[in-house]
Amino acid sequence: MFDKISKFMDEKLSTPMARLAEQRHLRAIRDGIIATLPIIIVSSMFLVIAFMPNQLPADWAITAFIKANVGKILLPYRMAMFIMTLYAVFGIGYSLARSYKLDGLSGGIIAELAYMLTLIPKVGPSANEAVKALAAESQDLTVYISSVPTGWLLPMGQLGSAGLFVGILAAFFAVEVYRFTQTSNFKISMPPEVPASVARSFEALTPTAIVLLSVATLTMWLGVDVHGFIGKLVAPLVSGTDSLAAVLVICLLGMFFWSFGIHGWSIVGSLARPLWITMLDANTAAYTANQAIPHVAAEPFYQWFIVIGGSGCTIGLAILFLLRSKSAYGKALGKTAFLPAVFNINEPMIFGAPIVLNPILIIPFIITPMVCATIAWVATHLNLVNRVVASAPWTLPGPIGAYLATGGDIRAAILNIILIIISVLIYYPFFRMYDNKLLSDEKNSTNE
Amino acid sequence: MKVLFVCSAGMSSTIAVNALKAEADKKGIEMDVLAVGTQEFEEEVKKGYDVAMVAPQIRHRYDYLEEAAKEAGIPCALIQPQAYSPLGGPKLLAQVLELVK
Repeated sequence: MFDKISKFMDEKLSTPMARLAEQRHLRAIRDGIIATLPIIIVSSMFLVIAFMPNQLPADWAITAFIKANVGKILLPYRMAMFIMTLYAVFGIGYSLARSYKLDGLSGGIIAELAYMLTLIPKVGPSANEAVKALAAESQDLTVYISSVPTGWLLPMGQLGSAGLFVGILAAFFAVEVYRFTQTSNFKISMPPEVPASVARSFEALTPTAIVLLSVATLTMWLGVDVHGFIGKLVAPLVSGTDSLAAVLVICLLGMFFWSFGIHGWSIVGSLARPLWITMLDANTAAYTANQAIPHVAAEPFYQWFIVIGGSGCTIGLAILFLLRSKSAYGKALGKTAFLPAVFNINEPMIFGAPIVLNPILIIPFIITPMVCATIAWVATHLNLVNRVVASAPWTLPGPIGAYLATGGDIRAAILNIILIIISVLIYYPFFRMYDNKLLSDEKNSTNE
Repeated sequence: MKVLFVCSAGMSSTIAVNALKAEADKKGIEMDVLAVGTQEFEEEVKKGYDVAMVAPQIRHRYDYLEEAAKEAGIPCALIQPQAYSPLGGPKLLAQVLELVK
């Protein structure tokens, strides 16, 4: 009976739903953003270093040194995570073009062009004669004038996650134009003798002209503020995703797919990651500016307080299989699945136990992350634990990752350990039931 | 024999790969296995593998992964869920051998 229902649900519900997330535009966003993760992870570690003085004794020389040079230490971060959309747009354009079997490099470049055209560069003001005359009498004003940058300036804020949704739309528009000109043959074609790389740049001329003229007309000559407009549309989505209700729905969805053995996290992440990145980037920016940190539930929050040991917070189950198994299979599984679980890889557990389509283990598999999510959300919301400001590599053991992701808050590591204990407690009765079943199966098979 | 494994990030399939290698060693079969994430798959699959194996948790991406394998002219299959664990080596090896036969 259970088998029939689950087979029906998998074929009619979970697999078709999961396929939706593979729609090419969603896939392009996912691949584009994932391509920037190394930049985000490495550069956010600069943040951890820059704010280490908060954790170190004030009289150490290194503390004073870091404090004096915070601005300089953070400069690489400003050119990396702080402007992550600049990188993501190229990846989105590349991936979308490839999905249409078009040239990825041309797709990435034309997407970047469309995005950059939504930004309006300004010329830094130069001091006129009247100001110079005033400056001659004021030392402060002289210093100020010499610190004002001259030449063309880009609005850096919109190169970061604040411009992410504009960047996504710009990349879609550009690559769709590119595809249209290729499929409708509305392009300049070269004779076959011309080298491929040359022919390719000629083929990109028409779509480039269309993209350049249309986006520049919209943003530069008609003066439509696309960043302001899209920002207003996205703001309620961001604050909604930050609520406890949304966190629980996201967990439930992820677990629903995993219960059928589909990578639920990658599906939910495809949809939520642009919002998560927006939240994390806002948190990081506030952190570097010494302001109150706005968001609770950016992606590292899930990584270090909800999916500890892998989706389903299965670290508890891994510990139980390792230490408390009576069945031979459970013992063998515990030995092989525990170490990957420490590094948040739990496919061995999910498919090995298995948890997939296992009516006993699916129950705690869904409940545990929901309980952990609620505890962690409330604790973070009440500022008992710092909010996440950095992205630590997801394969770090839980307490270390939690410590780094919160900018070095030891209380986050403690919360992580408490949640691991809770995971053990919730999984225990179900584990006992299942291990006994394995044990009696083993006895029956040897008796036969 | 060269086998390519693909999963979401290339992490979990590494564990299955080790189980497969251990089993192949036991049987004295020479086997070269690499695990990659879905993004690298399209490029990697062209590099002269005998068979491509897709992890069960990304079966919703199977269609386009299979297409890439077809273009490279090699057989491609979804790994059975029961075989995708550190203890699933024997099943995994049986499935791989069945495919390249």
